[in-house]
Amino acid sequence: MPNPLDPPEGNWWDEPVNRRESIWLGIAGLWSLAIFGWMSGFTRFGEQNPIGETYAVDPQEFQAAVAEYKDAAGETDEGYLVPPGDSVYIAGLRFHWDGLPVVLEANREYDIHLGAYDVQHGFSIRPEETLSKQINLQIFPDTEWIVPMTFEEPGTYHVICNEFCGRGHNGMHGTLIVEEN
Amino acid sequence: MVSTIRQLFENDYDEEGFRRCSVTGLDVHRSVETHVKLFGLTAVVALIVGGIFAFTVATTRWELIGLLPEDGYYRHLSMHAWNILIFWMVFMEIAILYVGGPMVLGRKLPLTKLAKAGWITMVAGALGVNYSIWTVSGSQEAPLLTAYVPLNVPMEFYASAIVFLIGATIAALPFLATIWFEKRGAPDKTLPLVVFGAFITSIIAVEAILGGIAAFGYALIWQLGLIETINTGIYRQLYWIVGHGTQQINLLAMITVWYFLTHVVGGAVLVSEKVSRSAFILYLFFINLGAAHHLMVDPGVSVGWRIFNTSYAFYGAAFASMIHAFAIPAGLEAGRRQRGFGGGLFGWLTSAPWRNPVFSATIFSIILFGFVGGITGVLMGQLQLNMTWHNTFATVGHFHGTVALGTTLAFMGLLFFVIKTMFRRAFISERAASLVPYFYAGAMGIATLMMMYVGILYGVPRRTSSVVRNIPGTEFSLSAAAPLMTLFGIFAVLAILAGVLFLAVAAGSLLFGRRLESGDDGGMVPDGGVLSDGGDSVHAADMRGTFTLCLVFMATFVLLYVLNWFLLTQLWSIGA
Repeated sequence: MPNPLDPPEGNWWDEPVNRRESIWLGIAGLWSLAIFGWMSGFTRFGEQNPIGETYAVDPQEFQAAVAEYKDAAGETDEGYLVPPGDSVYIAGLRFHWDGLPVVLEANREYDIHLGAYDVQHGFSIRPEETLSKQINLQIFPDTEWIVPMTFEEPGTYHVICNEFCGRGHNGMHGTLIVEEN
Repeated sequence: MVSTIRQLFENDYDEEGFRRCSVTGLDVHRSVETHVKLFGLTAVVALIVGGIFAFTVATTRWELIGLLPEDGYYRHLSMHAWNILIFWMVFMEIAILYVGGPMVLGRKLPLTKLAKAGWITMVAGALGVNYSIWTVSGSQEAPLLTAYVPLNVPMEFYASAIVFLIGATIAALPFLATIWFEKRGAPDKTLPLVVFGAFITSIIAVEAILGGIAAFGYALIWQLGLIETINTGIYRQLYWIVGHGTQQINLLAMITVWYFLTHVVGGAVLVSEKVSRSAFILYLFFINLGAAHHLMVDPGVSVGWRIFNTSYAFYGAAFASMIHAFAIPAGLEAGRRQRGFGGGLFGWLTSAPWRNPVFSATIFSIILFGFVGGITGVLMGQLQLNMTWHNTFATVGHFHGTVALGTTLAFMGLLFFVIKTMFRRAFISERAASLVPYFYAGAMGIATLMMMYVGILYGVPRRTSSVVRNIPGTEFSLSAAAPLMTLFGIFAVLAILAGVLFLAVAAGSLLFGRRLESGDDGGMVPDGGVLSDGGDSVHAADMRGTFTLCLVFMATFVLLYVLNWFLLTQLWSIGA
C-alpha cells in the first residue's frame, strides 16, 4: 500500500484522485477565492478599512506638528483639547498619549494623524460602554499615518497602548470624548 | 549520572552500526539515532525552562493572582517566548530533519562533526539569548519575542539570536547533504513523502533564517552605533520573515510528523501522492509571504501590497492546509477500512488505538490545529478583521492554537514514540502516558479559547501585566473580562500541570523505564500488526467519514468568518 515512508512506485502522478477528495479540493479552492474576493471588495464598499495616507517623518518634526496643532486647538473647562479643524493629532510617547484627551463631534469625519516620538506603540481604542467594539492600529516613530474616522455614537472612548513600549507600558491610557453637536 | 546518560544513547546495532526498527521497519543507523536523541533531549530542556515561565506568565495575566510586577513580567514573558516558540521547536525540528532524511532513507548521517558543531553553536546562542534577557538592566528593555526597534534591547541579545540561527543552519547541513547524496545516487527515484515534506521544511527554514540574520543583523549594527537611525517598518518586514517563518517551520514539520505518525501508529495509507505533494509545493511558494499578515495594520505599506500578501499568497498556503486536512484523515480512514476496521461512517476512527498516547496526541493535534489555530489564522489574516485581532489577547490565543495545541501536542506524541522506539524504554505508567494528551489538549484547548474570547469580545491586549482589573493611573479597566480571565487562569494552570505530567512520564520512563527487548514493539504497532492485502486501489477507498468531518470543519469556518465580520461592521467608520 502507498505510504509516506516508502518511495511511490510507478507513475504516481497519473493515479486517479478519490471523488470526495476532488470535491473537497473544489470546496476549499472556492472558499479561498471567496474570502479573497470579499476582503478585496470590502476595501471598495466597506466602512471599516485600516487604510490612510502615510508619510515618512522625523519624530522631532512630528512632535513640532503636534505642538502647533495643540496651540491652535481650543480647550474645554476640563482642559480637554478641541481640534481647530478636521485634523486630530494623537502621538504615543512613553508612557502617555500626546493630544489626548480630546473632544470630538459625533458624525463628523476627522483625519486622525497617528505617530510616535520614541518607540513603537499600539493605538487600541474602544467605547467605554461596549468593549467588543475595539480596533487596533500599529504606530511608528518614523511614520505619520492619517486614518479618517467618523464616530457615530457619543460617549467616552478609551485608548490604551497595546504594543510593548517599555516598563511603564501598563499605564499608557488616554481618553477621547465624542459629543453630540 | 554520566553512565545513565550514556545508557540512553545505547542500542543493539549490527557490525555496520544499523538496526531494524520493529515498529516502522526502518533500518536505523547509530549516527542518526544518536543525533536525533541529542537534539530531542535538548529540546525537552528548553521545554522545561519555557514551561516554568509559562507558569509565571499565566499566573500574572490571571490578575486575581498577579504573581509578577510589571518589571519582572516582560522578562519572564521573553523567557517563555524564546524557550518555547524558538528553542523547543527548532531543536525538535533538527531532530525531525534527521528522522525525515537519513532515518527514513536508511542512510547514515553524513557530516556528523557539522551536526555536533551546529548543536554547540545553537546551545551557545540559546544560552546567550537567555542570559541577555535575564540580565536586562538600566535603560534596557526585555526583547519579548519581537525585539522591535527602536526599543533599547541589549545588543548581546541580537548577537546571540544570530549565533543561534547560524547554528541551526549548520545543524541542517547534514540533512541537506543526505538529500544530495540520495538524489545523486538515484536521480529518477522519487523521495518518500515524509522525506519530501522534511525537505520542503528545510527550504522554508533557510528562508526564515536568512530573514532572521538580516533583521537581527540590522538591529545589531544600529545598537553598535555603526548606523545612526533604524527604519521601524523595514525592521518589522525583515523580522517577520523569521518571526512567522519559524512558525511555518513548525507547521511543516508538524504536518510531516502527522503523515508519519498516523501511518505508523494508526495504520494510515497515502490516498494521493500527487495531491499531498502539491500541497507541500504550495507551501513552498506561498507560506512565507503569508507572514505579511503581521503588518496588516502597519502604516507605510500599501493596500495592494497587503492584499497581495494576505490573499493571493496567504490563501495559496491556507488552501494547502485544507488539502492536508482532508488527505491525512482520509489516509487513516482508507487504511483502516481496507484492513477491516471500519463499520459505518466513523467506525475507522472509533476503533482506532485511542489508548496509545502517540495516536491520541497526533489526532488531537490535527483537530485542534485546524479548528482552533488554522481558522483563526485565516480570520486575523484578513486586512480588515486584523484591526480587531491585532495585538489583542486573541492573537495569543491563535498562536497557542497552532503552536501549543498543534505543534506541541504532535511533538509530545513524537517524543513518546521516540522513547519507545529509539530509547527502547517502556513507560513507567501506561495509564499516566495515555492520560497526557487528553489532559493537555482539554486544558490547553479551553485556555486558548478563553484567550480568544477576551481578546475579541473585550479587547484585552497582549503584552501587559495589568489591564483587566487595573490600568495604573486611571479608573478605567477591562473588568468585564474578569470572569473569563479567571477561567483562562484556571485552565492555563491545568495545562501546565498536564505538561508537568508529560515531562514526569517522559523523564521517568527514560531513567527508570523497563528496557524493551529486541523485537518488542511496545504496543506501538496498530491492531496487532494486521496488514492490508493490497485489495482495491487506495483512491477507490471509502472516504465519506473524512468528507463529513471536513464539511463540519468548513461549516465552522464559515460561521466564525461571518461572526467576525458582523462584529467588525458594528464599528464606527474607519479608513479612507
